[in-house]
Amino acid sequence: MSGYNIFVLVKQVPDQGSKAGINPDGTIDRAKAKRMLNPFDRYALQAALHTKKSYGGTVTAISMGPPPAVEILMEALEHGVDRGFLLSDRRLAASDTLATAYALYKTVLYAGKFDIIFCGLQTTDGDTAQVGPQLAERLNLPQITYCEDFAIENGRVQARRIIEGGIQRVSTGMPVLVTVANSYHPLEYKSFRGAWRVQQLARRQEELKQYIQTIDLDLIGADVERCGLKGSPTIVAATEKVGEIGGSCTMHEGHSPDEMVKEIIKSTGIREYLVAK
Amino acid sequence: MSEENTPQQTPETVPDVSQFCPKGDVLVVAEHILGELQPVTLELLGAGRILADKMERKLICIVMGHEIGDIPQKMIEYGADKVYVADHEALKNYRTLPYRRVLVDFLESLPEPPHTTLLGSTTTGRDLAPRIAAHFDTGLTADCTELDIGPYEHKSKVDPTKIGLYPNCLYAIRPSFGESLKARILGPWKNPQMATTRPGVMIPNKPDSNKKGEIVKVPVNLKEDDTRLVVEETIREMSKGIKLTEADVIVAGGYGLGTVEGFELVKKLAACFENSAIGASRKVVDLGWIPYQHQIGQTGKTVRPKLYIACGISGAIQHRVGMSKSNIIIAINKDPDAAIFKFAHHGIVGDCYQIIPEMIKQLQENKVKREVEAVVGTH
Ligand SMILES: Cc1cc2nc3c(=O)[nH]c(=O)nc-3n(C[C@H](O)[C@H](O)[C@H](O)COP(=O)(O)OP(=O)(O)OC[C@H]3O[C@@H](n4cnc5c(N)ncnc54)[C@H](O)[C@@H]3O)c2cc1C
Repeated sequence: MSGYNIFVLVKQVPDQGSKAGINPDGTIDRAKAKRMLNPFDRYALQAALHTKKSYGGTVTAISMGPPPAVEILMEALEHGVDRGFLLSDRRLAASDTLATAYALYKTVLYAGKFDIIFCGLQTTDGDTAQVGPQLAERLNLPQITYCEDFAIENGRVQARRIIEGGIQRVSTGMPVLVTVANSYHPLEYKSFRGAWRVQQLARRQEELKQYIQTIDLDLIGADVERCGLKGSPTIVAATEKVGEIGGSCTMHEGHSPDEMVKEIIKSTGIREYLVAK
Repeated sequence: MSEENTPQQTPETVPDVSQFCPKGDVLVVAEHILGELQPVTLELLGAGRILADKMERKLICIVMGHEIGDIPQKMIEYGADKVYVADHEALKNYRTLPYRRVLVDFLESLPEPPHTTLLGSTTTGRDLAPRIAAHFDTGLTADCTELDIGPYEHKSKVDPTKIGLYPNCLYAIRPSFGESLKARILGPWKNPQMATTRPGVMIPNKPDSNKKGEIVKVPVNLKEDDTRLVVEETIREMSKGIKLTEADVIVAGGYGLGTVEGFELVKKLAACFENSAIGASRKVVDLGWIPYQHQIGQTGKTVRPKLYIACGISGAIQHRVGMSKSNIIIAINKDPDAAIFKFAHHGIVGDCYQIIPEMIKQLQENKVKREVEAVVGTH
């Protein structure tokens, strides 16, 4: 048995933790913002690599985004992914989740045969959690969303997923699409060997192309009418800054614990709730 | 980003938007657990009623499940005009593909597709809604906090096929960019317009037991493909004994406590207060530091105490949705940039292991002082 063909979807997102590239109105200046691998995708990556390690196979990372997104595919290679595809095309600009899922669907078909597709639960710049299920719909796959434990037994997938107020254990055959919750195991550190190998590769662009392929809509035969703004049934019509939620926070900092606690007790009326004797 | 697309010439004929002004009703997809309607469904009925009334349409619902008892009747009392019921053994537990099949068949069977279709942003709604939207190639706005309906004039030069005045456009508002912005997402040119709404945000109607409505059965025709996934076991830990939802004061602990022993401090602090309870973030529940019943948040409980003290909790959105309505939130966190300081009312930047014991000490002294005051006060 040659193992499983494992796909993992990853996205580059602006780092909201860093102040760089955040406009005064709170929007993100994507050109200036620090970029990072979507934190939720780290769990998907871990699930993909763990599956490969446990049951054999190859991991293919797929991403869609502007050319710099190749950085996260390099990062994925360092972690032990075997190859990557970056779908990059200006005609994808302003894609909503439906158009994104369509473009990724065509990319997945282009990338070849698969048994399992892992996706992050959601992205930190969109927060919709919709792309995974929409891709599953296009591919007519069963899906396991909010997955926090994943195994394969006798050729069947066994998984645990989060549900309202509890958990559910499910099983299914393959192919299947799985979105991985952030209660899954965190991504392990990359090995020195992996990082070193990719560093060497980065110097030899021609060789790197064997591992990371940048593709466009024409190559994958996507209908451009279904991509980008044109293929998006929703638009962002307006954005408005929200004030600090729940009012502004009075910060107590830099004093001794004794003083800060005194301040809190004085200013919050917390004494009202004390146990009365 | 849209400016990257080169504007095209305006077509000779202005698009006919009347095809995008469907007569359909407002549809709410119900969610229930063990025969209990989920609060989010009641909230959706409240929001859906307003939208339907504004357009002078009906508010219709679909309930999928098995042996669902008086749920349809209850939905009528909460505002539904017509409830469609899909009852089948295979629908007992929520599963994506069977529910997807029933919902797709149902939507296709309607003489007029719904104008708007609403689901809750729960693990179920977020699992099902995107598939339905993808099937119908329609738009879906996730996690809305506000909904409204009204005219919308679209003038974008980028896609001239969409220019027009849309009379009944769903205004879906959702937080974005880490909750710092409200984004208004619109998509009147595809139907049904779809949205999921965040639990705990919309306001349910007061139930009216005299309200009349219609209950209609719908057929369930599953295909072999629909049962590819099997639910082996469902575990729901319903709360027993711990009255988190009734407590005046909740002291909650998170991963910042560092070890399970940290909860001893949390308990001691809670014991200083009358009618108090102990809460927790999901991370520490997953680590087994404290049972699930204490979990506050999206997949735990929603609470509204008078006082919430968060100890070593980062303030992730999933935690916040469960506690942000608390009257006073005090957060103790050693990271001054922790998200929780964005919505707490009082923040102490410091180590739990220094702050909590100090707090316990001072509160105990205060209690003594308060008693003295009370005694003095009676004279
Ligand atoms: C589908 C889904 C559902 C979820 N549902 C829930 C839910 O219902 N409830 C929930 O809570 N989470 C939920 N989560 C998880 C959520 O995203 C966060 O991972 C979780 O809330 C983080 O818990 P935490 O704040 O305790 O830990 P962390 O995020 O690790 O934060 C620990 C904090 O403690 C601080 N700290 C560290 N040491 C100290 C110290 N000595 N003193 C003071 N402060 C210190 C740190 O600065 C940090 O801010 C869900 C996630 C998913 C994907």
